[in-house]
Amino acid sequence: MTIIIVVAVIALITLWVIGSYNRLIRLNVSVEEAFAQIEVQLKRRADLIPNLVETVKGYAAHEKTTLDAVVAARAKATAATTPGDVAAADGQLTTALRGLLAVTENYPDLKASANFLSLQEELSTTENKVSFARQFYNDNVRSLNQAIKTFPSSLFAGMAKVSARAFYEIENPADREVPKVQF
Amino acid sequence: MNFRKLQSANQWKTAGLLAGMGLLVGLVVFALLTYFGKGSTAVVPIAVTIALISVWGSYFLSDTLVITMTGARLIQREENPKLFDLIEEVALASGLKMPKVAIVQDNAPNAFATGRNPDHALIAFTTRILEVMDREELQGVIAHELSHVANRDTLVSAVAATTAGAIAIVSDMMMRMMWFGGGRDRDRESEQNPIALVLSLIVLILAPLAAVLLKSAISRKREALADATAVAFTRNPTGLRRALEVLQADTTVVAQKSNAVAHIWIESPLDGKSVSKMFSTHPPLEERIAILRAMEGSN
Repeated sequence: MTIIIVVAVIALITLWVIGSYNRLIRLNVSVEEAFAQIEVQLKRRADLIPNLVETVKGYAAHEKTTLDAVVAARAKATAATTPGDVAAADGQLTTALRGLLAVTENYPDLKASANFLSLQEELSTTENKVSFARQFYNDNVRSLNQAIKTFPSSLFAGMAKVSARAFYEIENPADREVPKVQF
Repeated sequence: MNFRKLQSANQWKTAGLLAGMGLLVGLVVFALLTYFGKGSTAVVPIAVTIALISVWGSYFLSDTLVITMTGARLIQREENPKLFDLIEEVALASGLKMPKVAIVQDNAPNAFATGRNPDHALIAFTTRILEVMDREELQGVIAHELSHVANRDTLVSAVAATTAGAIAIVSDMMMRMMWFGGGRDRDRESEQNPIALVLSLIVLILAPLAAVLLKSAISRKREALADATAVAFTRNPTGLRRALEVLQADTTVVAQKSNAVAHIWIESPLDGKSVSKMFSTHPPLEERIAILRAMEGSN
């Protein structure tokens, strides 16, 4: 009888260790997948920009500074490789694009053009996708970090070779002001 | 109240209600034993089997079955790229796969989601909801529907329906047995406490009603949970709140092909005829709007 109990307890503990270990690995993989998704969406946005810039140039060629800022930010974003650089370049490009869209408000002809309208829709959905991909990444980082820092899953973090990740924060003061709701 | 607290509160309430259903099953079996004696419990596996087959058949085929029952038509990206963009956005926020998308030709604004798991998810919109709602509102609706997918609500409601169905069948069979005088062992009568007999009979009669009430309560909790999860996805309670207000202002009701699928819409098509809050599958719209409004305010 005692032997059965001892074996059962050992089996339960083993299962629990395996479960905790696998959960950490899974969380870590989700974080990586979520980051890959951000990059996919950023690439989509980068691909959209040349077309957008050309279209705007056709109507508002003298908005050179704004256009150049977008082109420069895009170049930086496509060159970025480390997560930190990607986030920084992402923030700059987001700001530059907002500046560009604000400028287009002054050009009724441009705003009325069918080409621009479809670009605008594509750009706004891509912006949303980028921001949701960031949010999903941060949610995953949050779960991972929580698991790594709280007992008892913290015991297995070293064994699973996973470590806490940094949140994806874009360098843009305007972005910090936007959320009115705190969660 | 933030969405994380709301999510876990509703998860706990569902768990409690499902436990209540389990308790009800136990009570029914106990009443059967008391009233009819040991032989009668054979109906329980029969009832469970019937309920399992009828409910889980539709669970596995939910995505295809519901299409037929609601008259929905699957669409491809080319037919409505804007809608697909919106759904892709929310799918990204939720980490779910892109679901199948369908349109129901109907003059009432409404939407639903179904499918036994995220791989078989289907999300459908009436033609009207796509006309009356703006981008932000539709995003809220999509987030609510994808929340049902993420929370596995097809599974939860299948479990609830199976239990309620099995209880109804047991109760029904017992009533028939009583009318036909069979079942009860004559020699048991003398040794049984009459109060226990009456109580057992009451349990058997009222159990199906209690099961339906529990099932409706579970459905309401899942709706509240989907609202909270939707906010977790979009971080924007305003969109869904405004969408619900549009639904509230609109009095047209989906032309139902079948009452069996009433519970899956975002706004219950039965609300107009709903007898009382206890039986409705959705919390009242005013209540849902008030909760979302409180989330907007909580800064």
